[in-house]
Amino acid sequence: MPQTSPRGRPGRTTSGRNRRPGRAARSRKRRSLRGSAQLRLRTGFVLIALVLSFFGARLVQLQGVEQQKYATLAASTGGTVTVQLPATRGKILDRNGRPLADSVDGRMVVADPLVTRPHAARLARFLSTRLHIDYFQTLHALSRKGTRFAYIAMRVPASLAVRVVNEAAARGFKGLDTRNDPLRSYPDHDVAANLVGFMGTDGPLAGLELTFDKELAGTNGSETYEVGAGNRIPLGRSTVTPARNGTDLHTTIDEDLQWYTQRVLRQTVLGARGDSGFAIVMDRRSGEVLALADYPTYDASDPQASPPKDRNSLAMTSPYEPGSVEKVLTLSALIDAGKVTDRTRLVVPGQLKSGDRIIHDWFPHGTLHMTLAGVIAQSSNIGTAKSSRLFAPGQLRSYLTRFGLGQRTDVGVNGETAGLLPSKAAWNGMLQDRIAFGQSVSVNGLQEAAAINTIANGGVRVSPSLIQGRATTNTGQVVGTDETTRRRVVSANAAHQMTQMMERVVDPNVGVAPLAQVPGYVVAGKTGTAQRVGPRCGCYNGQFTVAFAGFAPADKPRFTVYVVVQNPRNGGGGGSVAGPAFSKIMSFALRRYGVPPTGGTPSHLPTTW
Amino acid sequence: MSSTAPALRARVPRLAGAALERARLTVVPKRRRRRRSSVPFLVVVSMLAVGGIVGLLLFNTSMQQASFAATDLQSQADTLSAREQSLQMQLDRLRDPQVIALKAQRMGMVLPSSPAVLDLRTGKILGDPAPATRLDPLRLNAPPPTKPAELDPPAHVTVVHESASTHPGQNSSGNTTHGSQQKSHARGRQDHTGHTNHTRNIHHTDIAH
Repeated sequence: MPQTSPRGRPGRTTSGRNRRPGRAARSRKRRSLRGSAQLRLRTGFVLIALVLSFFGARLVQLQGVEQQKYATLAASTGGTVTVQLPATRGKILDRNGRPLADSVDGRMVVADPLVTRPHAARLARFLSTRLHIDYFQTLHALSRKGTRFAYIAMRVPASLAVRVVNEAAARGFKGLDTRNDPLRSYPDHDVAANLVGFMGTDGPLAGLELTFDKELAGTNGSETYEVGAGNRIPLGRSTVTPARNGTDLHTTIDEDLQWYTQRVLRQTVLGARGDSGFAIVMDRRSGEVLALADYPTYDASDPQASPPKDRNSLAMTSPYEPGSVEKVLTLSALIDAGKVTDRTRLVVPGQLKSGDRIIHDWFPHGTLHMTLAGVIAQSSNIGTAKSSRLFAPGQLRSYLTRFGLGQRTDVGVNGETAGLLPSKAAWNGMLQDRIAFGQSVSVNGLQEAAAINTIANGGVRVSPSLIQGRATTNTGQVVGTDETTRRRVVSANAAHQMTQMMERVVDPNVGVAPLAQVPGYVVAGKTGTAQRVGPRCGCYNGQFTVAFAGFAPADKPRFTVYVVVQNPRNGGGGGSVAGPAFSKIMSFALRRYGVPPTGGTPSHLPTTW
Repeated sequence: MSSTAPALRARVPRLAGAALERARLTVVPKRRRRRRSSVPFLVVVSMLAVGGIVGLLLFNTSMQQASFAATDLQSQADTLSAREQSLQMQLDRLRDPQVIALKAQRMGMVLPSSPAVLDLRTGKILGDPAPATRLDPLRLNAPPPTKPAELDPPAHVTVVHESASTHPGQNSSGNTTHGSQQKSHARGRQDHTGHTNHTRNIHHTDIAH
């Protein structure tokens, strides 16, 4: 035995030879294998391999072959939940940070009609009183057949929606649920509504909401996680894509001033029985638009209640002929060009021949001896047209271009009109005569306000802005106060002379608009009563555009205010219709911003000779 | 066998060595000691296993608890933020200049027509102060929508006969938006101011139209 055992052991190299001889060895092997560890191991391995191969096959089946089926099965049983993380839409704020448009956490209330149908009537009564919705529509939605989903109310403030659904559940009404539904609120209703715009069900439909949608909207995120019995499974799979909230839009609008301007404007337009109107308040130094009121307007929190034509800003989108307000630009340019001064003596005939037409004044008169100041104070078309003939060819057009006419102000209002300044090719003497006093040229409201503000600002035009800082429109244009440009249009001296002349306009004795005076302050302004071009025929249709533009305090201007009323039917002109509105708005603005009276006295420039 | 003989001879010293080593390896008492010590080992291992399982269970439970708590707190946070927002909305509503103006007007407040500014450095009064008046009040509410002509005419015909007495009411049309009780009240007041209009007109020609 001691010989065989060592023989078997080193038999690694000679194993074949060892196993072959002798049955004894073979039988011993078989005998030893029966209870040996090797057999047990092998059997075990085979068993494990069998089981594992079943597992493997099942794995391949689950993950490879029928993956989709099981994934949908898992999703349908509510194993994982994907929730949208809605980005909060940026606010639209006024210059003091008060919201003109605000985003609120809202909910929509939805129902499962299959569950709600049996008690639809009682539930509809409960919901219609609590959520202020229509009873019959609610009843219809709650008892709809063939669906398990019905909208009951959209954009309900979250707290109210949750409270109502919980109360309904407490009363035994089942089948109600809430879903996320961000809510846009316009706390001031119609204040600045024509500028701010509003949101439809799918997105912004008008105004700044639309123009700056990309900045305001942000990007929605999403979160997917596993859920068991309504609770999130800890350490379960979850993926989160965070939402990127929209940025706030800071406007230059002053909420209170805007409100007051709108109320005064409405009273003015209705009082004059006009079609529409607008009023603009501009900060003289910065060009910031403090108020831009339009009438008719609408309630931004209920836009459907007003016709679509009332929902945009007519001041910005509808071109009109500025009329006599234009004379300020013409004559200050003429002074700047060195052709005249505020005391230049003019002989103003009763009518002036211009090509094949005849220019009249608004009041019949014989030959008058007016100074240039008198031409402004009495708003003489003839005096303006006659003196504008002193311009070198092309000079007036280049001045008007520098005043900003014919170019968009690009403050960020959708659909802004560029107005119409006739091209060089179309320009002729007859045209220039008319353009000199504001016919045959059309503008938008802000253009004209900015042009008048140029005189208030000592001859330097400040580009107007509606956005504080900077913001990018959907078309990629950067706008805002950071982009403000200044350019000199007329000399400081010319602007000063024009201011003095404009002070004569509100003089009760020599001017046409004493009602535009602001008690305690020196005011410089100019009326405008223009014939209106009808949209159909493209001719003057007998209607008028009346306006008043001015600034105060005249010797140290702080605000420029421009009021326009379209088609007044009470026979009023710029001085009597727009003048009082100007006075009220200007007075309010000066008071609100604590601008003390300068103590100056209005100019006493001679208007006649 | 003849071939194995010399090999065997050569292996003898190795075999002897191997045998010696075998003799050294088989130490009995050590095995006995090991067998005795396997019980505490098993205890330790099973305790570890049990402890691990229990720990894992506890951990899992606490995670579940935390998850419940998180869900609760989240819903609480949602409720609170919704409440905050609804309060904010309420505040915004109250801050609406229209609401403030309506309340102020109801309290009898009017907009100043021409306030004075007192310069503290010089002690001078700037501007020409005038008392605020109720003349020409700011109309705060939009006029009611005009009725379609078909809905109106018969009532109008009867009113025409009486309207001769209320002739000067040019600006009385503005106050029709108030409630019916307020309407009559406001009318009365309007008429009253209408009378004072004439006397005050002399001092405030620029305000009256």
